[in-house]
Amino acid sequence: MLTLNGEIMKTKTSSIFTRFDINLEVEKQKVRKVSTDELLQEVADCVAEGDDDEIENIVKNVLKTKSPVKVIDEGLIPGMNEVTRLWDEGVYFLPQVILSSDTMIAGIALCEKRMGKLMEKKGKVVTHTAEGDIHDIGQVIVNALLNAAGFEVINLGADVPVDEVVKACKLHNPVMLTGTALMTTTMTAFPKIAAELKELGLNIPFVCGGGAVSEEYVISFDYGVWGKEASQASAMAEDALKGLSWQEIRNKWNG
Amino acid sequence: MKLTSSMAYKNPQEIMFGKAIKPVITKRGLKIGGGNVIPEIVPHPRPGREKDKGTLIREFERANDDALERCVNVGHPYLVIENEHIYQMTNNPSWGGEIAAQTAHQMDEYKDKYGLIAAYRSTIADIRKPDIVNMRDSDQTRKVFESFNECARHSDIVSIESMGGKEIFDYSIIRNDITGMLFAQAILGGRDVEWIWKQIVKIAKKHNCIPGGDTDCAQANTAMFMAGGFLSKNIPHTLAALCRAISAGRTLVAYECGATGPGKDCAYENPIIKAITGIPIATEGKTSACAHSALCGNVIAAVCDLWSNEAVEFHDMFGGSSAAVFTEILGYDAALMNASVELGYQKQFQACLIASDRYRDPQAFILCPDNAWTIGKAITDNSESCFTRARAAALKCGELILGDPKMMLTAFENKSLLDYLKELDSLPDNEGDFIDICLKKYSKVKGFNPASYGF
Repeated sequence: MLTLNGEIMKTKTSSIFTRFDINLEVEKQKVRKVSTDELLQEVADCVAEGDDDEIENIVKNVLKTKSPVKVIDEGLIPGMNEVTRLWDEGVYFLPQVILSSDTMIAGIALCEKRMGKLMEKKGKVVTHTAEGDIHDIGQVIVNALLNAAGFEVINLGADVPVDEVVKACKLHNPVMLTGTALMTTTMTAFPKIAAELKELGLNIPFVCGGGAVSEEYVISFDYGVWGKEASQASAMAEDALKGLSWQEIRNKWNG
Repeated sequence: MKLTSSMAYKNPQEIMFGKAIKPVITKRGLKIGGGNVIPEIVPHPRPGREKDKGTLIREFERANDDALERCVNVGHPYLVIENEHIYQMTNNPSWGGEIAAQTAHQMDEYKDKYGLIAAYRSTIADIRKPDIVNMRDSDQTRKVFESFNECARHSDIVSIESMGGKEIFDYSIIRNDITGMLFAQAILGGRDVEWIWKQIVKIAKKHNCIPGGDTDCAQANTAMFMAGGFLSKNIPHTLAALCRAISAGRTLVAYECGATGPGKDCAYENPIIKAITGIPIATEGKTSACAHSALCGNVIAAVCDLWSNEAVEFHDMFGGSSAAVFTEILGYDAALMNASVELGYQKQFQACLIASDRYRDPQAFILCPDNAWTIGKAITDNSESCFTRARAAALKCGELILGDPKMMLTAFENKSLLDYLKELDSLPDNEGDFIDICLKKYSKVKGFNPASYGF
């Protein structure tokens, strides 16, 4: 009801707008059981709940009876996979994924300490925010999601000069490179990076996204693949890991 | 700095578009908030035009001239042009200064030739990224102030979208951490706004330029952008609404330091600011769909003084350049609002703007003038500290959303909101205690440097 000059206006909102989503809410789903072992299930549940305060106690307890590799492979990672599933199905929101990712990473660090070596990651992804651009929250989300998916993230941060990005690619030979930009006037660094990679013969899919970065612009240069949402990054990295070329990844995700 | 403890408007029914209690007058005599809604066009250069000073100056010359010319062609009597600095314009302070001088010259010519009254706002880019530089002592900081000096000489209005608190905010928002967001916006943001605006006001006054205002774009608009549409699953819209209520206390600091308005267009918290301060404000709504989507396309115009488009990339359209086209659209919107005033229908017109969005989304709901005023009242009634007023604004915002049965929320949005309010309720009452807790809690966040905020 809206008040107008002392009168009460009755508004029928249905004639003004429609909340198509309001009845589409996915019924709250529970995290599925991922292990028959009670302790490993506890690890997975802790990751699914994103409880990074508790993970230390839980993992330390499990490590008394189980190998660190088992804790990672049958507790931490399956727990994170459940989170990813629930996000994909529209049950979880982004912060839940980030908190679970933090929790999994804390758990893995404890296991790595016990193993005396780092866990083997799927592959490297170099991420950066364009030179002159300090809006990097998109990159922060990409980093968290790639970490959660088991990739090693080489995080170059924000406002990264073209040469530094190229240098990092040369050094790490990643399966994929990502670039984030909010402004159209900073995304102009992307084709320069792509051109230098080409000159060096570094054939790396270069996923670019953020703010005003358009598909039309990104697919105008070789290696460029447009990332519409940060949430696509890990699936694109999986494609790169499988050996899909930048053209194949572009054909799959763009156009 | 004394925090505001009373409302400029004694009730929300008094707040109307086009008219502010404290209007401002620009160098060419444009009265903002003096009874008319005025279009504010914001053209943005095309990618590649930033490659050198010459191409960038030429780009702005064309865009700004197209806007002025379109006003004359369709008879829009007043115009504000805002040029938001791209990184290169502030990183090279003379660039922004030369563009300001060029635009002032163009406006003088249009005034002399046709009588068009226009004004120019330079918005300096805050290139101080909190996790990269010391906000108070870095080359970037010096360039920001140098840019203000260069631009204030020629511009009518100067503004900024300041970055204080951004490092903790970004860390917190993706972790659903309302405490961290409150710390980032109210404490860190509040301190930075105070530090920077005391200096901006001095610079502006030295050059007879209006110290416009700030915006919590870096934080509250990040939340709005992440909340997205109804299908987005990034953050709850109720969190973005709370974040907006919190942002008002941060933006208010600029006015407490001497900024006079017009507030920045992208400060969606501006209806709250106008209710508290009586300064004229710029807002953007459906006309900024060219830059980003929003769920308050009409209601945000309900109390505007400048009506803006956020930013549109300069390029050709069927109807001319985007700068010309959007100037025409904004000007017609303004004409409609001004016609309603002439005819005495402004309350009815305002009611339509409000009704069309009121229950669309909690972010729109809290910016309806009545709710914006109520949130403002919570801010001024809790003026002991930046912390107390920000928390009070958030709690009031939540209470309003939950208190109106027509405001539909999904079960998840509803539960999230209840959780945030519970967390806000559990915080200490004293700002000092809150700061102590947060300095410890966030001490390990990458790049957080308490010295940037005088801690």
